[in-house]
Amino acid sequence: MSKREKVPKPTKQKRLKTPEMAFLNEWADCQSKRYRLVQLLGIVFTVSLVVQAWTLANVFSDLVITGTFSVSLLLMALSALFIRALTSFGRERLSAGASRSIRYSLRTKIIDHLTQLGPSRLRIDEDAALSTRVYEQVDALDDYFSRYKPQLFMVSLIPCVILLAVLPVSLIAFGIFMITAPLVIVFMIFVGYKAAQANRRQFRVLAMLSNQFMDLNQGLAELKRLGRSAHAKQRLGDSASAYQRTTMGVLRLAFLSTATLELFASLSIAMIALYLGLGLLEQLPWAKGEAPVTLTQAFFLLLLAPEFYLPLRQLGNDYHAKQKAEAAATALLEILVTQQQPAEVNLPAQGTHLSLVKTQSSSLLTFHQLSWQEAGRSRLAPITNQIREGERIWLSGESGVGKSSLLHLLLGFETGYQGECFVYDKSLDAVDLTAWRSRLAWLPQTPEWVNGSIRQNLVLGIQPPSEQALRDALEKSQCADFVDALPNGMESKLTELGAGLSGGQMQRLSIARALLSNADVWLLDEPCSGLDEDTANAVLDTLNRVSKGKTLLVVSHDTHPISWVDRHWNLTHGGLHEQSHQAIA
Amino acid sequence: MSKVTKLSLKRLLWANPWGFAIPLLLGVMASVAGVALLGISGWFLSAAGLAGVLGLAHGFNYFTPGALVRLMAILRTAGRYGEQVSAHEHLLGLLKTLRLWVWDQRVEKDPANLHQQSRGDLLQRLVSDLDQIIRWPLVVMLPWTYALLAYLGVSVVAYLITPSLLLPILIAALLHLILVPYLCGRYASHSVHVGQILGTHRRGRFVSLFSALITLTIRGHWQTYAERLGQLDKRQKKAEVTIQQAISLGRLASYTVTIGLLASFFYLLMDYQASTGELTLIHGVQATWVVALVLSVLAVNELALPLSQSFVAQGQSQVGIRRLNQLHSAKKTKETPTQAPLAPITQIELTELRGYHLSSGLGNAPITMSLKVNDIIWLQGGSGCGKSTLLAAIAGDCLSEGQAWINGEVSQLYDNKAYQSQLSYLPQTPYVFQQSLQANLRLGALEATDQELWKVLDAVALGNWARSLPQGLNTLLGAQGRNLSGGQRKRLVLARLLLRKTPILLLDEPFDGLDSESIKQICHTLQNDYQPQTLVLISHIPNPLSDHAKTIQL
Repeated sequence: MSKREKVPKPTKQKRLKTPEMAFLNEWADCQSKRYRLVQLLGIVFTVSLVVQAWTLANVFSDLVITGTFSVSLLLMALSALFIRALTSFGRERLSAGASRSIRYSLRTKIIDHLTQLGPSRLRIDEDAALSTRVYEQVDALDDYFSRYKPQLFMVSLIPCVILLAVLPVSLIAFGIFMITAPLVIVFMIFVGYKAAQANRRQFRVLAMLSNQFMDLNQGLAELKRLGRSAHAKQRLGDSASAYQRTTMGVLRLAFLSTATLELFASLSIAMIALYLGLGLLEQLPWAKGEAPVTLTQAFFLLLLAPEFYLPLRQLGNDYHAKQKAEAAATALLEILVTQQQPAEVNLPAQGTHLSLVKTQSSSLLTFHQLSWQEAGRSRLAPITNQIREGERIWLSGESGVGKSSLLHLLLGFETGYQGECFVYDKSLDAVDLTAWRSRLAWLPQTPEWVNGSIRQNLVLGIQPPSEQALRDALEKSQCADFVDALPNGMESKLTELGAGLSGGQMQRLSIARALLSNADVWLLDEPCSGLDEDTANAVLDTLNRVSKGKTLLVVSHDTHPISWVDRHWNLTHGGLHEQSHQAIA
Repeated sequence: MSKVTKLSLKRLLWANPWGFAIPLLLGVMASVAGVALLGISGWFLSAAGLAGVLGLAHGFNYFTPGALVRLMAILRTAGRYGEQVSAHEHLLGLLKTLRLWVWDQRVEKDPANLHQQSRGDLLQRLVSDLDQIIRWPLVVMLPWTYALLAYLGVSVVAYLITPSLLLPILIAALLHLILVPYLCGRYASHSVHVGQILGTHRRGRFVSLFSALITLTIRGHWQTYAERLGQLDKRQKKAEVTIQQAISLGRLASYTVTIGLLASFFYLLMDYQASTGELTLIHGVQATWVVALVLSVLAVNELALPLSQSFVAQGQSQVGIRRLNQLHSAKKTKETPTQAPLAPITQIELTELRGYHLSSGLGNAPITMSLKVNDIIWLQGGSGCGKSTLLAAIAGDCLSEGQAWINGEVSQLYDNKAYQSQLSYLPQTPYVFQQSLQANLRLGALEATDQELWKVLDAVALGNWARSLPQGLNTLLGAQGRNLSGGQRKRLVLARLLLRKTPILLLDEPFDGLDSESIKQICHTLQNDYQPQTLVLISHIPNPLSDHAKTIQL
């Protein structure tokens, strides 16, 4: 898709404002209430952290020096611990709830969007790949919304509160924190950058590995025929080993950076413990014979020291959550930015050409200078013509000239066209879409099937017809023979047949479906592509027989000429040319 | 891991015990050092404080504890680093083992069943299952062991203070290590299972529905169908809520256990004086050690917290394993008679042979025919009469009934490796691997020289195309590289088959999508340089070969 619209590459300084981040923030804002509550709980958590440290410190020092302490202090300490547990519980639930709400409504939105896009969704990707985006990629946002996002607040809150709490107690400890904290943060940024690079590379290699695995698997039948399955196993093993080697090289570096962070945290705790111990022993080189802190204060500092670094370390661990979310956001944004062109350009001409339609009262569809420009590229050259009721028209032309686009437009999925298109005397965008669509039958290149029996597929989306009507449709479309030959007849599952039914048979089934729907306007998009000549001719014959009296627009290549049509249109980049019908016959 | 074993988490663990032991040991070192760092610091501080108060500061040996504290800090970091590195090393090794296991299972499968499992989504699922499983040692086994060992360490300290503390520690350990994780796992297991099944189901329905999007929309029924998709989503959401609840509740329970444990310590170690509202340490207990103990318990709490989550993760791994085991093909019951190398095939007689597809039972009408040296046989028949099925049956790719004589002996065609090694079969939709051009070709003959490759490319009229590629023989093909047209794909696979130089060649629509020049070239090839002993052909396109061919009408 990047081919179509190249977004100017953001410069490094503006990295914070990538569209991905904007997208993630926008969705997070939808849950701002919950997130605010999470922040509030975070504050309660931090306060109880400090209270717990202070009361426990008192308990310890009293215990050590006098062997007794006040029971209320102990109770306070334990309840502070419990409050921490409760607030964590609340925070987890709220963040997970926020993440769920975001993900499930995002998914609904994406599915709705894909529905609206209709056939143009396939410009983004095929359905199976889209389903990966809709499910896996949306779920890949979970860690970001449920962990990373709330943690971001704690990372600034906890160290600040602890620094404030430490300041009145000991300047030296405050100093140690103050010096190490920026170092840790600088390292975090550096490490984060490095880790991000390593991560990306690893993702790519892992994807390649999975790809190779899937590729060899898909071609397994061929490999077995060639007697090369052992050779392929060797390949799989080799590349897995090679991957192991290279990845470990990358990981060793990445972990080394995290380890440095960890070392900072550990050493600072050790430094503080040592300083406090020596201070209590009055052995500090610069202050022999005096204790800079009391035992209570010392314990207080010792208890707070690990908590100071903990959120930073957690954020480091969750950093990949952000990475994952950004990658997923890229894939999701690609869906959401794919738009039908807004129909703003085609308003002025409204009405002026209606008179043109009125003079041709028998015409069902009238095109007047109908064209379709998208992102500066012409998808359909301007065409002017009309289709009368009951007319059967063959539309040919090279690939990419807009044949399918015209059909999609008539299906009502594309609104971004220019010029005018009338159904009787109503403009297509003013017409009652449901009523119009109920007259249509759609027969694409690969027939549309859902997982289910032949019967379910035949009656898909229509009032269940009588058994007789079903039989008739099968007879007329010449499906009866092969359907009856199936062990389960009409109840055979279409997916399981797989190799069982041929392309021609599938096309016939979709003709049967069109018959059952009672639609009188049939739109066919290359019904014969992929069929060999004999089959294609047989299918076209059937089509000829059943479609008399219906309005037909058949897109078909010149390689599959249709002799029985009333008119033959040839679409080129220059426009529509009516071919003399006899020439093809 | 041997080919025939089923997967289980235990087996995975023992597949490479050393690979697992090293990160375990390092992790244990790091965890113990982490707990000790707090414990020793606490003890050191309290002892120092006490000494300071008592005026004994000068006799206090502060070097040992100071050094210990620093040592622990370094050990913790180094241990954690080593654990991470070696655990990932192990994990990647596991990934390799598992992939090869899956590969073996797939190779064991009957060719007739293969295509069922070749679909993209199933393989996609396989890959994600594998990722789920390899996380198991890292997420479940290691944290649990650390917590267990930390508890052992705490027990030693508690025993030194007074043995009566062991009972609450034992209870807390049981709760932390077994009961709470077990309950969480149990509470969530159903939802984990449901969630994973729904996951695949949802995907399947999405693809199925969207493939009929336009029909459903123009019939005005999309909403009802889309609603069902929404229903699945809602159920998935419910499962997710349960899982998340299990984890959160488990953590809350773990916290409560820790608080209870601390309270029990003070209850056992202190006397309550109602008059002052104060607790007094009972006689004979050293306050400094109590401080160390309490601080260690707080550190152990941090190790116990992730356990509830890890047991939910275990459920996920188990679902993954169960699904992978579905691939496991039970050891073939009838060990195919040791397929002795077959003498060069000179004649094949087929009587009443009928090839059919396992799933639909559809196939060709029984046919009797013979294939001899220098035969060119052209199978003809209308669409849907089962030409392709018959050809696949002759190739041994597809099930068949009736009898076959090879060189005058009754033989089985289906999945007969000795027989298949003497034939080459070009199916209707041939597969090109996402490898380089030469790697694709060399699958036909590993030892082929570049010269031979160019020769065969020319033979199928791909030589000029290949020479026009900037990377030549090294060009990557398929989704990873250059895309091929249907005709190029056919010819490329044909070239690969020709390199095998097998006596029998079976071609299903080889000329589809080719221009007449190329068709002429290929027919020339098949009658000269690469002429097979016996050629069976399906084609609806007239070609020079047909003049020499024996036609069989189906």
